[in-house]
Amino acid sequence: MTPAFPSVPSRVSDYLCELFWQRVRALLLTFDAGWRLRDLRGDAIYYGVDGSQPEKSVQMLRDLFLGLSIDEPQDLPFVELANGTSAHLHLIPDRDAFHVLLLDAAAERDRQRATQQIGNEQALASQAKSKAIGQLKQIRTELERQHAKLEEAHALKNALIATLSHEFRTPLTSIFGYLQLADRRANDDASLHEALHAVRRNATYLFTLAENLLEYGRSDGAAPLLNPTPVDLEALAADLDAMFRPLAEEKGLDFRVNMKIDDAEQPVFDEIRLRQILVNLLSNAVRYTRHGEVAAEIVWRGEELSAVVSDTGIGIAAAHRDTVFTPFNRGGHAGRKGAGLGLSIVRRMVDQMHGTLVFESEVGRGSAFRVTLPRGRERAAPRADDAIAPRFWLQGRSILVADDDTDVAHLLEALLGDLGFRVRVVGDAQSAVVEAIAGRPDVLLIDVELSGLSGNAAVYKLRSRGYKGRIVTLSATATNEAREAALRAGADHYLTKPLNVEQFVHVMQQAASAGWDGGGDGGVIA
Amino acid sequence: MTAHAHKLCMLGDFGVGKTSLVARFVHSTFSEKYLTTVGVKVDSKEVALPGRATMKLVVWDIAGRSQLDSLNMTYLRGASALLLVADGTRERSLHAALNLLMQSRTLLPDAVVALAVNKLDLVEQWEVAPAALEELRRTLPVHETSARSGAGVEAAFADIATRLAE
Repeated sequence: MTPAFPSVPSRVSDYLCELFWQRVRALLLTFDAGWRLRDLRGDAIYYGVDGSQPEKSVQMLRDLFLGLSIDEPQDLPFVELANGTSAHLHLIPDRDAFHVLLLDAAAERDRQRATQQIGNEQALASQAKSKAIGQLKQIRTELERQHAKLEEAHALKNALIATLSHEFRTPLTSIFGYLQLADRRANDDASLHEALHAVRRNATYLFTLAENLLEYGRSDGAAPLLNPTPVDLEALAADLDAMFRPLAEEKGLDFRVNMKIDDAEQPVFDEIRLRQILVNLLSNAVRYTRHGEVAAEIVWRGEELSAVVSDTGIGIAAAHRDTVFTPFNRGGHAGRKGAGLGLSIVRRMVDQMHGTLVFESEVGRGSAFRVTLPRGRERAAPRADDAIAPRFWLQGRSILVADDDTDVAHLLEALLGDLGFRVRVVGDAQSAVVEAIAGRPDVLLIDVELSGLSGNAAVYKLRSRGYKGRIVTLSATATNEAREAALRAGADHYLTKPLNVEQFVHVMQQAASAGWDGGGDGGVIA
Repeated sequence: MTAHAHKLCMLGDFGVGKTSLVARFVHSTFSEKYLTTVGVKVDSKEVALPGRATMKLVVWDIAGRSQLDSLNMTYLRGASALLLVADGTRERSLHAALNLLMQSRTLLPDAVVALAVNKLDLVEQWEVAPAALEELRRTLPVHETSARSGAGVEAAFADIATRLAE
């Protein structure tokens, strides 16, 4: 064996050995081949070794050399011991025995940890930064997508409003017709006449108010959703006469609607808008005229319709001429009944139909509104296959509901039972995973915000085990991020609370009808 | 009677939660603070297996690396099981875990192996797709775990212990 310090005096060599021994806080344990402790020297307490009861410490050291040979030298650097200190461990075979030498590595471990900690944290931060940049890009794309979606929703809203407007009109038209019939048959019953007139007055008000509010529901920037069709102007004039004559006569006003058709070409207009323009103008005229007359002169000539609605009413003061078409502004008619929308709606519709609108008015003498509208272009008829698809039949389909809120669970159970589902309810995500794999329901409906394992984690676990059944997640978080996270975890649909029942039913139908992909056992690895 | 001991090494990239998984498994604790491991930290726990003798798992929590170096190889010697750990929010860490598995196979061809994809409590932020784990399950036992909540942790270690006992 080569001496450690061959060229120095033994006194120096001893000194250096002593110094080294102290500095590295060495602990030397000597064992026989059966791990029985023969000798212990050094700072045992520092390494958590109890010299008086060394069995536990010996077991700890045996664990550190588990699987390694004690017949060969072993070197294990930076081993953190049970008491938190760090040591370089050496096993040194020595004939029929061996030594275990522990050298202090705590200071060096702390230095390395500080350096590594900074490096690792920087690397993690850098990864997070890259991820954040990627997410920002995604958000931008998402915003663009949302913008397009909003535009689409806006168009849908307009279509819905147009449909609603039409749906309102149909029963009200019937009401007006039957009111007229009832009025004729009321004979000389004055109180019945009075009652019917009151109904007509209010029905007329309801009609114009509903139409105006629905129209106002469109945003100013919306592209006009015109539906030009051939219009029977004679019938329109008759309707207007039937609608307003009784109201005018009730007030003792002269009333007339004159229609003059000087063009062989069939008039084509968006009939709903045309009707609404004339109804609004006549409604205002009758409402704000106490004496005299209200008249509508309508002429169809040279592919242009002109209508003049005049009255001998209260008129509009010059100060209000500029604001008369502003929504919710009643101009000179302040204090009178009405929402103040009629003229603003007329203005908007005339603009949409590329027409003109002018008026003359004098306070106490009356007003005259002149509208001109060019002939519209007829649109193609809607296709037959635009019809709504019939509902799917859900009788006998199975669904597993996972929700830890018993009230919500009962509500879902009742709703789904009404739809024909066979419903099974569990209260936590882990049970949902087990039951879904075992029972293979047609649909799994799971709450995202479950206590313990989250709904998303359960969905992820199912999908990562090859589960192919339909999964609908339900969450109280109505954000796009939450929706994306749920879909990324493997959900097919994402619904938010409170439930929109129509949407809920629709999604359940979709999910139940989609069934299992791949068939068989779905390839689930339990 | 002394339980039969097996050396189990935790392998994975830094920051995936190896130390946290061991803390959860051995001490039922969790710390939010990230403290990098230097060298190796050794802990042990006795595991009761149904119908079998109690087993002692000596868990070597090895400092995180994406590649095995000579020091890691030193720590791996004598191991009979490997628990690879990846962070579900960092797909790159899954690749690192699989890379470490391939490298360790030369030294430990017969070791029992399982993969823990950690941070299940952050599943909303996971980059690892369910389909990726579905594919991996064909060749490797995979456990989704959360050291924070404890989800899947016992199951992952029990899976290894069971297979070591077979």
